[in-house]
Formats: sequence, C-alpha cells, structure tokens
Amino acid sequence: MKIVGLDSLIFGVDDVPGAARFLIDYGLTPVDVSDAGGRFEAIDGTSVVIAREDNPRLPVPPAPGCRLRKTMMGVADGATLQAIAAELRRDREVRVLPDGSIESIDDSNFVIGFRTTVRRPFALPGEISNAPGSVIFRPVNSLGVPPPGTVIRPRSLSHVVYFVPDVLKAEAFYVNRLGFRCTDRFTSTGPFLQPAGSLDHHTHFLIGAPPHMHGVEHFTFHFGGPSEMITNGYRFVEKGYQAFWGPGRHILGSNWFWYFNSPFACHIEMDADMDLHDASWAPREAALSADASQTFLLKMRKKWAPGPGIHENGDYA
Amino acid sequence: MATTPEVKIARLLRIGRADEIGEGQSRGFDPHESGEDTMFVVRQGGVLQAWRNACPHIDGAPMAWRKDAYLNADGSRIVCHAHGAEFLPDSGICVQGPCVGKKLTAVPIIVDRRGELLVKEE
Repeated sequence: MKIVGLDSLIFGVDDVPGAARFLIDYGLTPVDVSDAGGRFEAIDGTSVVIAREDNPRLPVPPAPGCRLRKTMMGVADGATLQAIAAELRRDREVRVLPDGSIESIDDSNFVIGFRTTVRRPFALPGEISNAPGSVIFRPVNSLGVPPPGTVIRPRSLSHVVYFVPDVLKAEAFYVNRLGFRCTDRFTSTGPFLQPAGSLDHHTHFLIGAPPHMHGVEHFTFHFGGPSEMITNGYRFVEKGYQAFWGPGRHILGSNWFWYFNSPFACHIEMDADMDLHDASWAPREAALSADASQTFLLKMRKKWAPGPGIHENGDYA
Repeated sequence: MATTPEVKIARLLRIGRADEIGEGQSRGFDPHESGEDTMFVVRQGGVLQAWRNACPHIDGAPMAWRKDAYLNADGSRIVCHAHGAEFLPDSGICVQGPCVGKKLTAVPIIVDRRGELLVKEE
C-alpha cells in the first residue's frame, strides 16, 4: 500500500473567519476561500480544509465535539487506490466520490479518504548549521537567520494524532489493512505509525484514551528547520495566539515542536527536522514521561537585550 | 509572652474597566504579571464572572486560542481550545469534552463605584 502521507485534514468550525485568520497567520496560503470555508495550503499543496460545522456536506465526526471530519491520505498511484478500495470493501462500505477519491471509515470511526496525492515536488534548502568538522556547511556569506520580514511557510502536512478508545484495534487497522508500520511506541499509550510510501518517523500517532476524549490531540506541518519553526512560532505568539507546549525537541522522532491551542478543538503544532526511517529500523519502546517525551523544553519570554534602559533583570548601565 | 498575630490585609489590584467587556465577550488578564493571562472574565446576561485560565482536563492548561478568545462563536459557552472542553459560563461546569462534570475555578472580582474591575492581590 503506497500511502505517501497525509494530503488534507477537513474540519467543521463554528467561526470560519476566525479559523481562516488563524491558519493564514500560521503560514498557510488561502486557496478558494469564502465565508463558507475553503482550503489552506502548504508549499507542496497539502492542506487544511475548513467549512461551517453545520455544512451538510461534511462527513460526520467520530465523536461529539470532534471537529475533524475527514482525514485525506495521498497515495502514489491509481493501482494503490484500487488496492485500498478492494481491501476495505471486504468488510465496509467504500464510496467513490466525484473527484475520483475514495472514502470509508477506520476502526475508530474516523472518516478516511484516499486519492492520488496532490503533493507537488519542490526544491528549497533546509536549515544547515555551520558545525565545525562537518562536511556540509551553509555557503560562505549566506546568513543563518531569516531576515526580518521573511515570509515563512509550512512545507508539508506532517502528522495527525488521534485519541482512540481501543488503541490495539486502531493500530491493527492501520498496520494490517493499510500497510502502516510501527516505528516507535509509548508503552500503554500507543504507536507512532509510518505508511509504506513515506520515510517520516510518523504520519499518525495513536493515543489510547477514554471514550469521552475520542477525537484529535493535534496535527502539524513541517517547517524548513528549527530557526524557521521558532521564528514562526514567536511571530504567532506575538500576534496573540496561545502557546501550549514548547518550543522543544522530542526524543521519539527527534522533531522540534511548538504546540498551540486552536479553534479546531485540538492543538496545532509547528514541527521541523523529523527523523527518517526505513524498513531496517527497529522500533523502540518507552514509558511515557516528561523525560521520555522531550530532550529539552524551552520557555518563551519577551524579547530582551542587555544594556542601558533595559531594567527587567538588570542591565549594564 | 504572647505575640501579636500577623494580620494580612489583601490589597486590591485594578485589572481594567468592567465596561470594556461587552455582553457575550471575554477578556484575559495577568494581574500578577506572570507573563501570561492567568484569569479571564466573561459577561453573560449582564453579569461578570471570572475564572482561572486553567482547564481542569490538564492541570493548568491555558484555554484561549487567541488573546481573549475564551468563548465559542456565539458566546454561549466557555471553551478550552486545547481539546474542546465546553463549560457553562455561569457555573463553570464542563458539559462536553474531556472533563465533563468538572468545574473551572472561580476568581473573586469586585467592580467598584467607578466601574473599575478589581481582584485581590495573592
């Protein structure tokens, strides 16, 4: 099953203009957006789609209160699409939509879709640090800090995290029916899952949770590196958005993270520099704890500089 | 020899004007200058009610998705925008989401004769 990753997440919201402003300030590009909703794209064309929560065309949520209505996955080709349809039709309905995508439901009641991926190839340098001894450096006279005013855009839809009432059942569906692979696991919490067509540490993370939490913990896009992610997150906070956790760096997957509250009844993350793994990778397992979750956690404070006139924590005057 | 018991007299801190919070609106405040809003005030049916900015789902989790955005779109419920918990604005009781039945922590507030909104210094 050559599933290459997430193509789009579709949400129903009660405040379309507010959610649209939020996604634009996060860095996504609005495409075909009106007061009724629309699509917000990363550089590679992966996206978040929003619509008014009472829009009858939206699929039903997996549980009351969950605003995620559908998870659209991209696949490599039409043959994969046919193979997924045939596999799922063994025990559930699979609808073919007018755009050629297929739609069904997973074993945790999340509506899932598949289509030949919309991801557009693009070439942009990632962040390179000038580490002494390294064989790779930034070109001489190129700057490490994005100049003021630089537009920072998410590059690609990264992963989604579900709260599921039966994590073993949920994992079995993605592994046995759709060809995902567990890359790492938090004991008694759940697995990080990678589809066969991606090297990302995970596109899905499943968390076992009580039925009343059934829904989404967070979703996120990849940024070009830690400097982009932290600069973008800092700008986001300065615009008044509420940080929840971070910035920091995870251990499983290694990705830099910064989580924020969102109008989607879940967190939204900014991430960068996630590990890549292939089939030779042996999954690790760890008990979930603060120490196992992050290698470090930073705390944001207001901008400050030493020198005359700066009295918050003393100065050099 | 008996000592005189220490008597602490709570000071009142001005956090804003009551009339700056309209019907069905919310506003966050940081009265003790912690660096982030630790409480918020909601006006419903003309009545101001203040709560700690801390969802009972995850101890101390901040609730707004944007500065002062503690309510749903029609202003009828307080929402924790971490995981969608919804609370009744008059009682602070969670009626939907991951902490159903739990309650927000109320913060005593005073509106003085000039319309200033005051809280006790901790």
